[in-house]
Amino acid sequence: MPDLDAIKTETKRLLSEGVVEVVVAFKPGDTPLHPQPAFFMNVDDVDSLVYDGLCQNNLATFLTRLPKSQKIGMLVRGCENRSVNALVVEKQKLRENLFLVGIPCEGIIDWRKIVERTGEAVIAVHENDLNVFVDSRAGNFNFNRADLLHESCLRCTHRTPVNADILIGEALPEGDLTLAATAVEVFEAHEIDERYAWFHKEAERCIRCYACREACPMCYCTECFVDHIEPRWTESGATPAGMQGWHIVRAFHQTGRCTDCGACERACPMDIKMTYLTEKLNHDMRNKYGFVTGLDAQTQPPFATVTLDDKNRFSV
Amino acid sequence: MLQKPKIALFQCQWCLYAPADQEWVDTQLPENIHLTKTPCTGRINPLYVLNTVQGGADGVMISGCLPEQCHFKTGNMAARRQLEEFNDFLNHIGYEKERVRFVWLDLQDRGIIQKQLAIFEEELEALGPASNLVTRTKVAEGGRHA
Amino acid sequence: MNLILEKQALPGLLQGWREQYDVFLPQKLERFSHFLPLTPDSVLVTDEPHNTRIPPKALFLPMTETLVKFTRFGGYQDAQQNIHPRIIFAIRPCDAQAVQLLDTSFIQESYTDPLWLEKREKTITVGLGCHEPCHNGFCTTVGYGPFNKVGLDALLTDLGEVFLVETLTEKGYSLFLGLREAQQQMTEVAQRVQQQAYDKMPVAFETEGLKAKLEQNFNSSYWQEVSQSCLGCGVCTFLCPTCFCFDIADETQRRERVRNWDTCMFRTYSLEASGHNPRPSKVERTRQRLSHKFVYWLDQINQIGCTGCGRCVRYCPVGLDIRAMLRQAQTLPFEVNHAL
Repeated sequence: MPDLDAIKTETKRLLSEGVVEVVVAFKPGDTPLHPQPAFFMNVDDVDSLVYDGLCQNNLATFLTRLPKSQKIGMLVRGCENRSVNALVVEKQKLRENLFLVGIPCEGIIDWRKIVERTGEAVIAVHENDLNVFVDSRAGNFNFNRADLLHESCLRCTHRTPVNADILIGEALPEGDLTLAATAVEVFEAHEIDERYAWFHKEAERCIRCYACREACPMCYCTECFVDHIEPRWTESGATPAGMQGWHIVRAFHQTGRCTDCGACERACPMDIKMTYLTEKLNHDMRNKYGFVTGLDAQTQPPFATVTLDDKNRFSV
Repeated sequence: MLQKPKIALFQCQWCLYAPADQEWVDTQLPENIHLTKTPCTGRINPLYVLNTVQGGADGVMISGCLPEQCHFKTGNMAARRQLEEFNDFLNHIGYEKERVRFVWLDLQDRGIIQKQLAIFEEELEALGPASNLVTRTKVAEGGRHA
Repeated sequence: MNLILEKQALPGLLQGWREQYDVFLPQKLERFSHFLPLTPDSVLVTDEPHNTRIPPKALFLPMTETLVKFTRFGGYQDAQQNIHPRIIFAIRPCDAQAVQLLDTSFIQESYTDPLWLEKREKTITVGLGCHEPCHNGFCTTVGYGPFNKVGLDALLTDLGEVFLVETLTEKGYSLFLGLREAQQQMTEVAQRVQQQAYDKMPVAFETEGLKAKLEQNFNSSYWQEVSQSCLGCGVCTFLCPTCFCFDIADETQRRERVRNWDTCMFRTYSLEASGHNPRPSKVERTRQRLSHKFVYWLDQINQIGCTGCGRCVRYCPVGLDIRAMLRQAQTLPFEVNHAL
């Protein structure tokens, strides 16, 4: 479990010493399953800061909504640190204006997995390193934390923030790199029509609410491709072409930019699976170009670094 | 297959050096082939490819210049990275990889594009009409609520 | 008329309705429930969270609906709906009340939406009241309730082995011919169940004086505070049974003019062609959303535009809770707003 006292102490220091103007973290939600992103500007408010497995949002998504010149502190887990790096690479933020408080992560709890087991009427949730205790109207439960993790966290490869300004907690050993590759291979082992049937079934539930887009730190375009009217490339509504086009192109726009954080899937109100799309793209970037998003704040992604050497890469 | 396969041809405007080839593509292209010319293959947004796929293209051919012959230096290489990955990605979700074909033409090539299209058409006939991802249909009457 | 419906007779009754009507009822879809057409294998789903994830407003205002079809050469025709008479079964009172609220927008003296009207006229709603409060709902707080009858042709109360059926309209009554009348004692049991359910609903926030507080604090920093972690997605509005905004788009490649659900929470919603945006940030848009529900609906029809279904609370990706936002609003001072 993250050392909450140390986190609060550091947050207070950042504010009181004027290192940053705001620290982006979490505070308790109004419902027990959903801590909310919070923007701390006063030292006095920091005591309400929380940080646990239910903090399910990638906080880096708020960075592009704050001015580039603002000095911002942020609590980051492994994936979030890489998202921040990706934003710096794309010149959306200046690294020197950011203070990253790195927290090695044991995985985010998928609140839906709790509700599946305990029913909707959850009253309180507590956790420690190994267990999650849930009080609900249906009774009191004790789960293994590992059983409740979000799918993306099960395949996480970078649990420890790679270049945070300070690390609170022991660095964690890196996850098994083969798990992500295996997931992609397992999916591709299915017949092509089965793969399409799966994709079609998932995309069919889409209501075009764009929660996935807003939750994603890398989706920051002021005008998204779906907002283009002239020409209208992607159908605007909940039609098969529209829903599929949305998922295909949003995922593809993440090539070389996605950190597999899974925030998109957690945000979706229709429980649509979509990380299998970006996982494939990340897998290809790793295998074809040796590229992993956000390991530092300088390396450009493959689609931005075209060279004539490529002629040896592709067979005509 | 009763109809000829529908092919979407994306071509950069520079890759056909011979006037005979240019004229053929501009005026004598068979009816089942739909041409979109771009200033460079690097301009081909994967969205265009997806648009043709959703509209029922049985195959997509992308034709451009060889490395080191791109009028815009590296446009064709950018296209290669993006569109090759997009092809893999579409294959991942159900559009056969063989339906997307890249043809890179040398300045000295003559008559290659016609040959390639003919070969592609035969292969697509063997593969059959595309059905996965072909989704541009009219909204069901009464609207959609699911 | 109060009638008794044996639970074991329900499947037969539903299947019998299929001869004349399409029947929609909440069924399992993935991990939640959704109004799907009745089939021989259908299983009614009524457990928590009681209501379907997508509200039944979708059966009247679909997510995407064709308005006009046009030809390449300039001709066009209004799209024909193919609406078969239908029954929406086990709709919850919050959702039924919401459909009635939406009627005030779509059916007006000055203009009636023909697509909405036809669907409405061909629909019979049979409600299922909530004898246990759902976890995030607050229907009683906003002036409605778990056995609210507005918008329903009949209302079912679950009494264990049987349902008490209260038919509220001719259309409702016509569905339950042949059922035996309820005895006075059963009616009283049902009334007690209903009253208990009503009493069990917690009060989520105070509505007395809320409208004035929201109006008079138009420029307060409160709006900045409550909107800070909002992502600006459309989850709350799309899952909301009383939200009805739509955008009209020309799908030129399909030669159709369609209308799609739209949301005031998107930046592009109020973006004008000149580039000016009267609601440039989340602050203004959040203020708009809350004010529409709790101020402007009251101005227009003297009813709160929220039926307390709880979906926005349950599915907000950042855990924003409208109940907490309104409790906080109640702590705001009365501030005279000179700008208004």
